[in-house]
Amino acid sequence: MINRIALRAVAPTKMAVRPSSIGLRYMSTPVEPKEKANTIVDAMPGNNLLSKTGYLAAAAAASAYGISNGLIVLHDETILVACFTAFGALAAKFGAPLYTSWADDEIKKVRDLLNGSRAKHVNAVKERIENVNQLKDVVETTKQLFAVSKETAELEAKIFELKQQSALAAEAKSTLDSWVRFEQQQRQLEQEQLIKSVLSKVNKEIENPKFQEKVLNESVTEIEKLFAKA
Amino acid sequence: MKKMFMHSPLEQFEMKMLLMMNDMLALSMTNYVVYLGMVSFMMYNMMTLLNKTNLEWNRWGLAMLAMYDTMLNMVKSQMGNKGGYYFPLMFTLFTFMLMANLVSMMPYSFAMSAQLVPVVSLSLSLWLGVTMLGLAKHKLVYFSLFVPNGTPLPLVPVLVLMETLSNSSRAMSLGLRLSANVLSGHLLMLMLGSLMFNLMNSSMFGMFFGMMPMLGVVAMVMLEFAMSMMQAYVFCMLFSGYMKDSMYLH
Repeated sequence: MINRIALRAVAPTKMAVRPSSIGLRYMSTPVEPKEKANTIVDAMPGNNLLSKTGYLAAAAAASAYGISNGLIVLHDETILVACFTAFGALAAKFGAPLYTSWADDEIKKVRDLLNGSRAKHVNAVKERIENVNQLKDVVETTKQLFAVSKETAELEAKIFELKQQSALAAEAKSTLDSWVRFEQQQRQLEQEQLIKSVLSKVNKEIENPKFQEKVLNESVTEIEKLFAKA
Repeated sequence: MKKMFMHSPLEQFEMKMLLMMNDMLALSMTNYVVYLGMVSFMMYNMMTLLNKTNLEWNRWGLAMLAMYDTMLNMVKSQMGNKGGYYFPLMFTLFTFMLMANLVSMMPYSFAMSAQLVPVVSLSLSLWLGVTMLGLAKHKLVYFSLFVPNGTPLPLVPVLVLMETLSNSSRAMSLGLRLSANVLSGHLLMLMLGSLMFNLMNSSMFGMFFGMMPMLGVVAMVMLEFAMSMMQAYVFCMLFSGYMKDSMYLH
């Protein structure tokens, strides 16, 4: 309610601001009649007023000649020609700009898409070239790697050979050691047997009364000698 | 000299002999043949423009491409991906109809699509082709097209008769629809033009007021342009539907 009262209060001011309607085209941009006339005259073919008048007169004469001689026949179809021309003009004035802007937008969209793809492709190719550039020393590196691998193989072969040799030496040493140990055992055994036989012979000899007597005699002799010296 | 000019509006529907050959109309050069040549030339140019559009986009080519895309979508929606086999036929038909209809919209020109005999002959041969396609593809099973799914047995003879009639009437209706639409549209425009002309011819008062229906006639011209395009599209859409029936039956 308050709003309505407020609007009523404002309404006379609004009415005063609105321009008074003075005809069908009161909304159109006012154009100076002289300028308008000049533009119409300028739109006609010809460079000066004389030639323009000449063109108009020739067109009027040609039309009159055509109509009077039956070259131009005015009938129902003529109305359709006018309508078709009006349609063409309307299409050119309103339809064509709309279509042009739409088509230009579409073409721009596709062109941008294609250019974008082209740029991406160029970048990808450049990137690939750079990647390949990094691999330009690949032959030399491969040769070096091959030499290193060859050297490694040779060293590995030597290591294997040396390992084999050391293994053989170790085997020989252990065999020889076992022989030495065996010989030592044999020698020990022989010595033990020798000692046993010597001891048995000595014991047997000791048990012999003749020997005992002989040893006793010798001992007595010795003692006597010692005593004699003393 | 006067024979070169059109003196009656209805002359645009008349087939004229331009070059007689052995007293036979069939082999003679008529205005229909001349327009056929014109339309073929325009179609050739359109295809050239379309081929150029692949890499070099331009405004005209974009319109051609939009038509191509519309037709492709229509064919694929009707017949699926297998419809692609028949797309060249469909697009050629559409282009032919469109060009023929648009050329006939030019004042003083000849309405090709309003000629019943050639258009109905075309639709009849297309229908025959579609029927042969269905028979070649499905053999005798093709006739199941005339028995809708779930039909009660007692109704089968009646329905088969009706479906046969409906199917065979397609041969006529396809061309008749296009021809009748173009003919009626052109006649309506002519009648309105005639009305305006008679009004303007009556008096100075009539000259002034006779100009007033001009906007209406311009609107009719616009409508006829739209009809020309739509009828070409409808022709192809219906033909795609018939082809779909032959390809997939029900």
